[in-house]
Amino acid sequence: MKIIFKIIRIFAIVFAALFAVFYFDLDGKLLYYVYEPLMCKHYDNIEGRRNIVEIPYDMKEDIYD
Amino acid sequence: MAEERMTKMSLSEKLGYRKGDLKNFVKYIADDPKQACKDFIYGKEHERRNLGDLYIQPTGLYRHREWRGLKDTLYYFTCVWCYTYGTMVGDILTSEKPLSFFKGLWRYRWVGQTYIPVLHWYDRGMEGMRGPALRASAWHYRGMTYSTIEQFMRMFARDLRFNDGKETELWKKTVLHNETVSGSVFYPFRDGGLVDIPLEMIPYFVTCHVNSNTVLHYIDAIQSLGLPSDPCPMCQAEAGVGIMDDYPDSAPCFVTTNEACDASVATSIIQDWFLNRPLYAMPQPMQYDDPLVQKRCQAEIEGCWKFVEEQTGVPFSWESFKKYAELQNEQLYFEREKWDVAARTNSYPINGVAQALYRIYYSQYGWNKTWQVLDGRVRKIMEECVTKQIDTFPKTRHRVIAWSCAPLYYSNWCTWAYNCWGLNTIINMDSLMFDKEIRTDTYEHALEDLSWYNELAPMRAMAVGGHKHIFQLWDYMEQFNCDMVVMYDQLQCKGMQGIKGMFEDEFRERGIHAIWFPHALPDKRTVSRAEIRDCISNYMIDVMHEEPLDPSLLDFDDSLTW
Repeated sequence: MKIIFKIIRIFAIVFAALFAVFYFDLDGKLLYYVYEPLMCKHYDNIEGRRNIVEIPYDMKEDIYD
Repeated sequence: MAEERMTKMSLSEKLGYRKGDLKNFVKYIADDPKQACKDFIYGKEHERRNLGDLYIQPTGLYRHREWRGLKDTLYYFTCVWCYTYGTMVGDILTSEKPLSFFKGLWRYRWVGQTYIPVLHWYDRGMEGMRGPALRASAWHYRGMTYSTIEQFMRMFARDLRFNDGKETELWKKTVLHNETVSGSVFYPFRDGGLVDIPLEMIPYFVTCHVNSNTVLHYIDAIQSLGLPSDPCPMCQAEAGVGIMDDYPDSAPCFVTTNEACDASVATSIIQDWFLNRPLYAMPQPMQYDDPLVQKRCQAEIEGCWKFVEEQTGVPFSWESFKKYAELQNEQLYFEREKWDVAARTNSYPINGVAQALYRIYYSQYGWNKTWQVLDGRVRKIMEECVTKQIDTFPKTRHRVIAWSCAPLYYSNWCTWAYNCWGLNTIINMDSLMFDKEIRTDTYEHALEDLSWYNELAPMRAMAVGGHKHIFQLWDYMEQFNCDMVVMYDQLQCKGMQGIKGMFEDEFRERGIHAIWFPHALPDKRTVSRAEIRDCISNYMIDVMHEEPLDPSLLDFDDSLTW
């Protein structure tokens, strides 16, 4: 019985915590103010991308000729 | 301006706290406890919701999410918010290579910046929705989320970058194609293990709806090389993703097309350049209903099938084609049932944005099991609405048909228009494309119908395929019992710009109320969301002489929102 009450209590706490995150849009705020700026900074600084305009662009053979 | 405003905001303002909020809340309960209790259980009436007050301007974040009444709030929290976050993780874990998600997230801007805040896309699309309208629209969103994850996980699992350049078996049995080549072209190879991936659908198209900031980076990238800013921004952005080397290298060959219009040909050249793979170009004629071009279109499809067989080693299977074409037909029959309910009753439970995006998404991507499962759930909700004659959008003042190509960064304008003005978008042009079943009695019939199906793609079917098609608007207006038109004026679409004057004349002659609003497809910097809302509000005030249902939605700044 004690275990059941414990499970119910844990479930209630998790439910309430998640509801608070949902209701106050804390997920959105975290993603908007913290996650996105950090990730954009990272993407801006990725090294080793191919420079497409330096790759020669040749005519391919027509595979059906 | 908005950036400046953001920098001046304190932390508490950024989090949405306003001085006196708590005091006002206590006063609201103390003044009329009975009403407060009623609001808690059933939610506020439409006119008292003040949805505009929920926004933290200019971010578009919510001070708090909307309280929709006890039942609908709990539904949205458990069956939409928790369920979607949970199933997103589940979808990744059950994909071919779950760990490749983290590599993709780290490498590709379009996935990291866009798909994590996906729940806000749900919020924007379903603001103010209640009951069956909330449930059915959310299922449509869920279907699109699943298919998006399926696609980018397939891309990552095959990406040569993440496999040390090794051409894996998965990679060898994959075809990349333009997002405007319908997935149905590849049905003959599906049971043989072939996977087809629309190259731009996830890195470009879906990102614009979910996070409108991502695409700006790619548009700027291509313009920085000297491309003028006036070509179609869809093609600009698709080329920009290539220039930034942000397409996963996930297949040995590529199928392109000139859909939606010939600007796409230029994109295909850049794609050919950076992919440097065997490429099959499968063009569609502009005047697609000319009987003289049909044989040619069919030959193009057969040519594509031959190309796929040769490049991937997966043989053509008539049985496979037949199976998936019949499943696709079933889906189309259900779509027509939905249109019938939308046209004849007030019990259609899907809002304008869910209808538009879901329809264009599944018909372009091709049949998959998810669509079938989710359509079953939506059917149940819709049948309940019809049987019980539930008025799903009770504040409807005008039944609207939306015409031409829509603003991708503000596809949820119709949710706002309903909440603010009672403009209920019943149907839109994109939903009416691909309206063609495929006969499967003989190979010849199937090929003929598949060719037609592919020709009825966006935007060829109506926007750029000859003016008589774009003027089908009048028939559809009558069919869907609409009394108002919202005309999209895509500023960089030369095809549609050319016919604007003729539309104006027709509207005047027929005495139709038409609201024009300009936009630049994915680029929110050219025409802001606020300007779009102003166009609609000005018409409703100056011409229709109507009062807004929710005045808090008339003027707010969401310029920095996703």
